[in-house]
Amino acid sequence: MSSSQFEPIPMMSDAPAPAPAAAPQEQASPIRDAIQEAISSHEVILFMKGTPEAPACGFSARTVAMLQELEVPFAAVDILPDPRIRQELSAISNWPTIPQLFHHGELIGGCDIVTEMYESGELAETLR
Amino acid sequence: MLSSDEIKQRIEAAIPGAEAEVEDYTGGSDHFRATVTAEAFEGLSRVQQHRLVYGVLEGEIGGAIHALALKTRTPSKINTP
Repeated sequence: MSSSQFEPIPMMSDAPAPAPAAAPQEQASPIRDAIQEAISSHEVILFMKGTPEAPACGFSARTVAMLQELEVPFAAVDILPDPRIRQELSAISNWPTIPQLFHHGELIGGCDIVTEMYESGELAETLR
Repeated sequence: MLSSDEIKQRIEAAIPGAEAEVEDYTGGSDHFRATVTAEAFEGLSRVQQHRLVYGVLEGEIGGAIHALALKTRTPSKINTP
């Protein structure tokens, strides 16, 4: 599998948080904004433990394997480097577990749903 | 720690008409496999069906429950893939 099949996205940045607004209704969350941006700007994006080359969890590994089997290009985000990535992601998606696969900004599901859809052929149809 | 029976009971108590089969597949009381069949899933997407079940177990997933492999079904779709 060529490494051009996915595009790892670094979520961590040393950039300082923007100065708080005069009347902050919500706390600024650069990580949440980066996740939102990543979800909306990639057709297919997988939030996983580890990387596609070195998955750190069996569920993430299986999900990567199915996407690669279907030769679907996808972006990947490793949630492990900072616990806030997972917190913010789950808050955005209303989904407690990892991996999470998004297509056109919509949550497709976790490993179980992706597996069911892979087996029924629905995944190939949806992602192509 | 949760047993597969406790998880089954919680799901069945919280989702009307639900039938849950729950298996502790490592024997370690932290990795479970569940199949939940419920009329309440009718008309919901898979993601919404799973959210219902996760909601019942809120706070346990990532805590006492390290992994929950989940399948959801409506009674009319039990035999379809």
